[in-house]
Amino acid sequence: MSIQNPAVLMWFLPLAGAILLLYILKMKRRDLRVPATFLWPERVEEIRANALFQRLRPTWLMFLQLLALLLVVVALAKPQTKQSGLAGEVTVFVIDTSASMAATDVQPSRFGEAKRLALEGIRSAKPTDRIAIIEAGATPRVISPLSSDPAREAAALDTLQATDAEADVGEAMRLAAALVGSIDGARIVLLSDGDFDRITNFSRGKAAVVYRSVGERDDNLSINALGASDTSTGRQLFCGIKNHGSRPLAGVLNLYADGKIVDSIQTPKIGPSGLWGRTIGAPAGATVFEAKLEAPDYLKSDNYAVAIADPNASLRVLLVTKGNLFLERALSLDPRVTLDKSTEVPSTELAGRGTGAYDVVVFDGIAEQAVKARGVLTFGAAGPISPVTATGTASKPKFVSEEKRPLLDSVDLQSVFIDRQQSVSLKPTGEAIAQTSAGPLVVTAQDQSKRQIYVGFQPLDSDFPLQVGFPIFIANALDFLTGGTTSTTLAVKAGQPFTLPVTTNAKLTTPSGEQIQVKTTGSALTIREVKQVGQYTLEAGGKRQKIYSFLRSERASTIRPEKNLDLGGGVVKTSQSPSRFADFWRPLALLALLVLGAEWWMFARKS
Amino acid sequence: MLLEPREFRLLDGLRLNPRKSFGGKVRGERLTKKKGVSIEFADYREYAEGDDLRHLDWNVLARLDSPVMRTYRDEEDLALYILLDASASMGFGEPTKFDSASRLACAVGYVGLGGGDAVVPRILGKREPNHSTLRGRASYPRLVGWATQPRDLEMAKDGLSTSIRSFAGSSTRAGIALLISDGLDPDISSAIRILGGRGHEVLFLQVLSDVEIDPDLEGDLRLLDSESGRPIEITANSFALKEYRRRLQDHNQSIVESIRRVGGRHAIVNPSQTLEDVLQNVFRREGWVR
Repeated sequence: MSIQNPAVLMWFLPLAGAILLLYILKMKRRDLRVPATFLWPERVEEIRANALFQRLRPTWLMFLQLLALLLVVVALAKPQTKQSGLAGEVTVFVIDTSASMAATDVQPSRFGEAKRLALEGIRSAKPTDRIAIIEAGATPRVISPLSSDPAREAAALDTLQATDAEADVGEAMRLAAALVGSIDGARIVLLSDGDFDRITNFSRGKAAVVYRSVGERDDNLSINALGASDTSTGRQLFCGIKNHGSRPLAGVLNLYADGKIVDSIQTPKIGPSGLWGRTIGAPAGATVFEAKLEAPDYLKSDNYAVAIADPNASLRVLLVTKGNLFLERALSLDPRVTLDKSTEVPSTELAGRGTGAYDVVVFDGIAEQAVKARGVLTFGAAGPISPVTATGTASKPKFVSEEKRPLLDSVDLQSVFIDRQQSVSLKPTGEAIAQTSAGPLVVTAQDQSKRQIYVGFQPLDSDFPLQVGFPIFIANALDFLTGGTTSTTLAVKAGQPFTLPVTTNAKLTTPSGEQIQVKTTGSALTIREVKQVGQYTLEAGGKRQKIYSFLRSERASTIRPEKNLDLGGGVVKTSQSPSRFADFWRPLALLALLVLGAEWWMFARKS
Repeated sequence: MLLEPREFRLLDGLRLNPRKSFGGKVRGERLTKKKGVSIEFADYREYAEGDDLRHLDWNVLARLDSPVMRTYRDEEDLALYILLDASASMGFGEPTKFDSASRLACAVGYVGLGGGDAVVPRILGKREPNHSTLRGRASYPRLVGWATQPRDLEMAKDGLSTSIRSFAGSSTRAGIALLISDGLDPDISSAIRILGGRGHEVLFLQVLSDVEIDPDLEGDLRLLDSESGRPIEITANSFALKEYRRRLQDHNQSIVESIRRVGGRHAIVNPSQTLEDVLQNVFRREGWVR
């Protein structure tokens, strides 16, 4: 018990003195002549006073008035009681749904335990407490806004499901701070195992951060590498296993090719942080290779890996840029893309002998160079091998025309504002498919070994990156540069949203058999529902596409529970039973009202 | 004349009906225990020389050959003491308790005078010269004159019980002592027992007005006793009124108990009651008159 405003208690003495003074004042009574007085009880209940002075006669009324005064004064002093419990007056539960929370070192799982703690907090909250719930998943979201409705909060919590994706807990915490950071006494409760990247750029505002760590053990093996490559001795399959725990562990590794088991290997005991790998010959013609590990560890989702040998199933893209987040995002949205960034082209990738590591090179404002990659996309900086020759620069060119080509499907260049465009003249190999007043805007060129796209402006010199057509243009460009062929098999990282150029609505079947309808934007399908490890099937426009989802993350596989968190502004320790100070004045005020009511009732009866 | 003609008609023919038999001073219409001359047979006794042969029972003489004298009860007058309380407390009520008590005194006195009884009026609570004994209906105007004599009740100094004790101590022959009072004296019960102990048959008409039965008081008051002037301070609330009613009931019960012990009769009347109502519900029903 603590008192916020103890000075108010000093009011009791003068006010009580005033009440006692009223009782000391002598009553002036009305004279009345009666036949006889011996029958009357000499009963004096002095409830009023209007003359000076008399001896103080204690009465119940006086005691009740003093009691009511005491209760009111104590209530005004704002007493508070210390209570334990996760929920405070204003609370945001941030629940980590990352892959490591699926670990079963606590029953039923870390995620289940986090949900139980949150539900316990909701149930123990007072009726006036406000609670919000944020899912800290790959894309953080508020699943229940601030409310005082426990049933609604519990229902929202019930819809929350664990994922096999990496979580952006930092963004979730920033979202929570944005929600309650300006409220005095607010509390952000993070229910997590602490296995996520260090949080930066986080300010809690006025809110307090409570971290409740879930998880006890760290035993975990993961498949950290799986790849197929063609060698002189045929196609080889490599699989690597890592022990992320603190105890040596062994397991059984099963390898599959196109769904058929090709090998089963008992691994030796792998020590803490130890690696173990094995290369085997892969069946010729197989395209999908899967590895499944049976091990006595606590996290199962990283015991699965997939590798796809179809060249069109994955694209290695090199982005040569000085920095362009829009372009980077747009490229990452394509599920086939494995993206690398650089400010210049590595010498190993420049045109010459041998094959390069990249399928596509994107030049963003950097002059195009001759490279080994089979596709080149250039923005606003024509080079010597470009299908155009630079002649100068034009400001604010006006759109003139565009050709109807697959590259410009669902892309509206007419509405794009271009601040500066490179003036070019078309080479014989080039074909202009869009024109502005400054000349060719989009030019394509292709021969048997290479395809090129030239765009006459840099994305950051226009509002093109802000338009919906930009990622579609990038997806169309990748399709063009890789020859227009698309694979029926994809491998994506769990939880990573991606876009497919599909014009019809689609049906996605999850590994558990659940079917989800995915709506198209008209030109593309953005899929965010691939959150579990395993095989998905996408059916759209009569075509079926297999999507293999996997978790390959050093961070997610390290499931050692963190007891302390570095939240940028300081270290937050795990707390088993955080306390809160709850106002206690309401019951006192109610009691004072009851006492006053009793006093009034007694006064009415006596008078 | 205090009473209405209609009320006289109601009273005509009524006689006081005492439970006891009292000896009189002069011959009257009341049978006494004494042997005398009347038509009421009393007993037989042996003949003695000089006895009046008119009372010899000739039938017995003829059968038994023994002279036996028939004796008869004597008839004497009855003393009716009308003790009218004129203390200050009798000045309350509307009409005042004293006015009502005076009317009742005249009514009972009229009955007594009509029955040939000796009516002796006395004032209690106030010192007045003793009034002479009244006999015969012709004395009724004097009775009325006594009852209606102007009196300042405020000047009453003697307490009710003191006056009753004083009357009981006087050398009066036993008779009916009709006490008409509000009985608001804490010692009234013992005074009644003393009065009964002197051989009087005590009839107590207790006149209580609404002021006493259901007082309408509220607030913080200083009550002044109408007779002693003694003040008490009270807060007139439900508790005080409840306590007052309980005490009044106990006081009246004590009076009734004292009356019962001395073989008397008691009734409570309200000043607002009509004489006809009192006659019907008290005097006739309780057998005070016949």
